[in-house]
Amino acid sequence: MEDRNSYLKSERSQEWREELRKKIKAKDRTDVPRVKMNEVDASERVQSYIEVNSGLTQEQAQKEATRCVDCANPTCITGCPVEINIPKFIKRIEQGEFLEAAKVLKETSTLPAVCGRVCPQEKQCEANCFYTQKLKKEPVAIGYLERFAADYERESGQISIPEIKEKNGRKVACIGSGPAGLTFAGEMAKKGYDVTVFEALHEIGGVLKYGIPEFRLPNNIVDVEIESLKKMGVQFETNFIVGKTASIEDLKEEGFEAFFTGSGAGLPRFMNIPGENYIGILSSNEYLTRINLMHAADQTTDTPVVSGNKVMVVGGGNTAMDSVRTAKRLGAERAMIVYRRSMEEMPARLEEIEHAKEEGVEFMTLANPIEYFANEKGQVNQVKVQKMELGEPDASGRRRPIPVEGSEELIEVDTVVVSVGVSPNPIVPDSLPELKTTSWGTIQVNEETLQSSMPEMFAGGDIVRGGATVILAMGDGRKAAQKMDEYLKNK
Amino acid sequence: MKILETKYMGLRLKNPIIVGSCGLTASVEGLKRIAQSGAAAVVLKSIFEEEIIKEHEDTLKKKLGYQDNNLEFLDYFDYQLKNDVLKKTATLVEEAKKEIDIPIIGSLNCASSGEWISYAKNLEKAGVDALELNVFKLPFDIDQKPEEQEKLYLSIIDKVKENISIPVCIKIAPYSSNLAAMIKKLDDSGVNAITMFNRFYNVDFDIMTDEVKAGGTYSSDQDYYNTLRWISIMSGKVNCDLSASTGIHSAETAIKMIMAGATTVQVVSKLYKDGLGSIAGMLKNIELWMDKRGYLSIDEFRGSVHHEPKENSEKFERVQFMKYFSGHNPDQVI
Repeated sequence: MEDRNSYLKSERSQEWREELRKKIKAKDRTDVPRVKMNEVDASERVQSYIEVNSGLTQEQAQKEATRCVDCANPTCITGCPVEINIPKFIKRIEQGEFLEAAKVLKETSTLPAVCGRVCPQEKQCEANCFYTQKLKKEPVAIGYLERFAADYERESGQISIPEIKEKNGRKVACIGSGPAGLTFAGEMAKKGYDVTVFEALHEIGGVLKYGIPEFRLPNNIVDVEIESLKKMGVQFETNFIVGKTASIEDLKEEGFEAFFTGSGAGLPRFMNIPGENYIGILSSNEYLTRINLMHAADQTTDTPVVSGNKVMVVGGGNTAMDSVRTAKRLGAERAMIVYRRSMEEMPARLEEIEHAKEEGVEFMTLANPIEYFANEKGQVNQVKVQKMELGEPDASGRRRPIPVEGSEELIEVDTVVVSVGVSPNPIVPDSLPELKTTSWGTIQVNEETLQSSMPEMFAGGDIVRGGATVILAMGDGRKAAQKMDEYLKNK
Repeated sequence: MKILETKYMGLRLKNPIIVGSCGLTASVEGLKRIAQSGAAAVVLKSIFEEEIIKEHEDTLKKKLGYQDNNLEFLDYFDYQLKNDVLKKTATLVEEAKKEIDIPIIGSLNCASSGEWISYAKNLEKAGVDALELNVFKLPFDIDQKPEEQEKLYLSIIDKVKENISIPVCIKIAPYSSNLAAMIKKLDDSGVNAITMFNRFYNVDFDIMTDEVKAGGTYSSDQDYYNTLRWISIMSGKVNCDLSASTGIHSAETAIKMIMAGATTVQVVSKLYKDGLGSIAGMLKNIELWMDKRGYLSIDEFRGSVHHEPKENSEKFERVQFMKYFSGHNPDQVI
């Protein structure tokens, strides 16, 4: 920690930083209003999958960068799970050195263009910004600037491929190609390992592709990162389910010496209420995967998704917002969120909630489905919803929902998307009886090393955490790579 | 050989003794031992919605990540916990069914009518022979109207009956502003049986540390009077079966309950105190008593001493001691 602090101090005292700080008075910096993200108009964007946020212009980015006062004690960094050197990359933007800014991001974050789009900065770096903490003003738009720098680098065609050590001839396997897996693969490739990523689906990217819709995270952003990894020598095997297509033992026989499991939390959860098996009731995983990955919105495909006019999405997280906004794009006249607490308690990012509202999504808060009904063909047509009220706060600090007796009402629907969370993917743990798991089905690891009960198996991301953010999964991938490297060197 | 067989909620029982819902009924091993001990049926340990809420709270406390990074994962985690509990119970029922041949009655304690339906359906699917609803919540809300609680009970029964086809019993508290009227309403709602009464967790104080602690856990052999009174009062007035619970520690008390009109008796505390072997003892003593009195079957004496408004109401309805102590000399006490 001390090392990190003195490193940050020495970075801050570099001449270019000192000069830049002197260029504009702190008072003038703090008077600049926060930049507004450019967006595609709601009426236009609901017609397609075009990305909602269109990024900042160079001028906007540089002006926003001037707001950062380059604090002596940069509290924003403590809010970042991978401790990006935030003032440094922002000052590089202010300076106009955008590629340098991207380099700073890449020192600790493998997927900055992704994080700039999907990280909950309002709870992380921006919540710890000097503006939020001391000035009680809107924080520096760190997330927008991160995205700007990463996008600039990608669009410039000057993507820096990290330096790779000489190949050491040792094979390691990565199970899953989500944010944890991709980060792990990149880090291990840098260290000279021969890395193969095994992906169960036909496309690489894990939750970044199947879970997050194009209008929030375009696939080409992820593809660019995958291309970089390929250039670094990482090999990808798609349609390969470790534990089914081949076992860990089979892979060991092929020469793989160690494994990283980043297979995520792709097992949908349901509420187990009457009628939940009717046709037209899907998990958000199924709904989004079929649309994002299987092109099921196109009714001419083999397995098109039912495109209801009245779509109810149950839940209040980002996945619920992604689902309901997708429904809107599929032409739903009425796309509703049903959430058992109030708007204030929703786990979804504020930005996503605002975008959903702008797009005409209806929010039925303090309501919870308790039963589904269907027509004679078994197709869901009504949901019985019970009103809720809020009781005392629970351990999350949010007021607990309590059912209001006798308040049930029926709501007409043709599609219901259940988005009440996910569980860890059970395939890898199920195939390895000796692998210790928790009562939740997550893989048990040593928190310091991310090593599992099988010494050659490391794990990270949602398969360990249950369900968390992209950046934490990336952090795990990075840490696991470092620890696996140490393990293999000492083996 | 006396005929102890009895019919409860349409289920044929070999005798009137049921092991009530408790920790003993929470495992296959426990259920096997209970069946071997001679009990005629068993009520599974209640699934408490309250416990699930508490576990959700504990999970949030322990597992909520820094900056709420896994809030979306934990937001509806109570449903996951609920499913786990129901799955465990389903497995318990499935395995127990292979091992024992006495009826298994499921037991639920939920806080709201919305949740009851799914729980009840799940237990029916798991194979329980009947369901006991353990509805009571301590009515300490000074703003709540008395009829609201009653309405809740009735709506729960209505919804559960609508959704499942196995017999349904409701376990009630001995407290109500008009217990007789409430029991009649429950009977009219179509419930198959009423268990009288629920025994609650008691509160006590430690006077040296000012701490609030748990009161005595078990009933005593003197705790049956209130149940006896109410079974007697209601047995001739309801169509559903009545199951007597609380303070049943001997064959004599069981006989009294049946005389009052109970179809079955539920024992728990006695088993914790004296072991499962006491069931055989109780059954033997019931038979000996029937022999002495010349009864051949349980049905012959069921309801023989219940409350008759025109004949013996004064004995059942009296609650003030009035003349009872008038013959005693207070000086003897002082």
